[in-house]
Amino acid sequence: MSAQTIVNRKPRKGFGIRLWPYLFSLPFVLLYLAFQFYPVIYSFFLSLHEWNGVSDKRYVGFSNYVTLFTKDPLFYKSIYNTVVIMLMSLPVLILSGMVLAYLIFNMVKGRMLFQTANFLPYITTPVAIGFIFSFMFDWQTGIINALFVKMGFLTEGIYWLQDPWLSRIIIAIMIVWRNLGYFIAIYLAGMTAISQDVYEAAKVDGSTGFHTFTRITLPLLRNISVFLIVTSIIGSLQLFDEPKLLYGGWTASQVGGPDNAALTIIWKFVNDSFMNVRFGYGATIAYALFMLIVVFSIASYKLSMGKGDQE
Amino acid sequence: MKVVKWTFLSLVTLVSLFPFYVMLMMSTYYSEDIFKGLPLIPSDYMLENMKTVFKTNFVQVYFNSMIVSISAAFIGVFTATLIGYAVAKYQFKLRSFLRYFIIITMMVPSQVGLIGYVIEMRTLGFGNTLLSVILIWSAWSFGAFFMVQFIKDTVPNEVIECARIDGASEPRIFFNIVIPLIKPGLATLATLVFLWSWNNYLLPLVTINNSDNYTIPLFVSTLGFVHRTDYGARMAALGLSTLPVLIIFLFGSRSFIKGITSGAVKG
Repeated sequence: MSAQTIVNRKPRKGFGIRLWPYLFSLPFVLLYLAFQFYPVIYSFFLSLHEWNGVSDKRYVGFSNYVTLFTKDPLFYKSIYNTVVIMLMSLPVLILSGMVLAYLIFNMVKGRMLFQTANFLPYITTPVAIGFIFSFMFDWQTGIINALFVKMGFLTEGIYWLQDPWLSRIIIAIMIVWRNLGYFIAIYLAGMTAISQDVYEAAKVDGSTGFHTFTRITLPLLRNISVFLIVTSIIGSLQLFDEPKLLYGGWTASQVGGPDNAALTIIWKFVNDSFMNVRFGYGATIAYALFMLIVVFSIASYKLSMGKGDQE
Repeated sequence: MKVVKWTFLSLVTLVSLFPFYVMLMMSTYYSEDIFKGLPLIPSDYMLENMKTVFKTNFVQVYFNSMIVSISAAFIGVFTATLIGYAVAKYQFKLRSFLRYFIIITMMVPSQVGLIGYVIEMRTLGFGNTLLSVILIWSAWSFGAFFMVQFIKDTVPNEVIECARIDGASEPRIFFNIVIPLIKPGLATLATLVFLWSWNNYLLPLVTINNSDNYTIPLFVSTLGFVHRTDYGARMAALGLSTLPVLIIFLFGSRSFIKGITSGAVKG
């Protein structure tokens, strides 16, 4: 009897199973189309228009793009600032993250303590970080100047936040301070994933400390480093909270920092779209950034893959 | 050697924690006293500063942030888990398409559609409401990506097959068997959304301009106490606003760090 019923039930049940994965996927797909995909397409449509949100949209073709790439020196400056800040922070993060993770990894006691304590900045609201730093580096009331003067490094306070290069460096310091714990955690996870046998074998062959680190740990961490570099580049190109809050906060309300040295691409985007209310032009900047990110991603992906082939 | 290592690591950790310490200490000072010396030892003005903070609509704002983060975590994790389960455990025509769909959408930076999103929210009548900050998490590609991996690794096919033979319906299998098995993954993802939506500054900045609907980052960034710049009170507000994420993190730091790093190590 059972054979008969199974045969009979199978088509119906099969249909059910075939239908369910679509039903399970549906909410995500629908919500994505509504709240992510549509805005992206609509932004492109807007980038072909001149619009201040109130009056009628005026179709201008690709002239927003032409203006952005040929007549807006501030756009190039914002790219320059973003890249400079990235170049100052990323190598420090990779290097110190790796070394600190290695030190922590070889500890018997205190491993969790150091990892957790150093991870705290990463979960803190960027708003808080911006304000704490803008207070710490304030020339008059800041604790950094006070400390340096007291210890005799300086005779009088430095205008940290009013110098273009110093301001970029401070933003880089904020980024390093905030993300170091994350880098350490990722490298630690990577080191834990490396099989202990490899280390045992190295030990048997007489490899110790530094030698083990450069010859065994480093090469095995290559994929993780690539991951960190690629995602960090993409993340840094979207830098906004830290510089904006360092300057747009309580001490001063200044767009772009001294001589626009802290104006990042996203800051310019937000400023042009929502402060100057030029939605079309803002959307154009967003798309230019998107293209930049795609190019960077493909380039770094190709670069890391190419290296892999040679080895 | 061991001493050197400990000293070095302790120094780095001190630098990591120093800004928190400054924040905490400053919140105990009467604002004008902060600048008389170095605010490195606690003073006695903390309660007064707290009072100043709670005289504003801080409680309302705190409540707003809680609503946003909890609903964002709920809806974001729910839709991600559903699609993650479908892609991980079913053979169907669109499976590989959906897999690529998730990966590709993960790479689109959120700012590209920001203007379109803001205008869409205004048109739908959600502009200036908390809903506009929540809905952005409703289809969260990273979450979906994470869940596909996680369900593949933790839910054995046999368990699902057994339940199916026993006659359990597909939704029942999902809710009664799969969900309990993937609790750690759900917790990790929920914490991540909570954290990211709690800290998000850009989106509320451009969608919400009514101070009753402010979330914490926005509130703190516009914090002005009438007539004077009260640094002590501001620092107290900052401290209070970082507290929930600190608590969540300290309770589950082990699984949380594991969750955050899992994508990197596997990928």
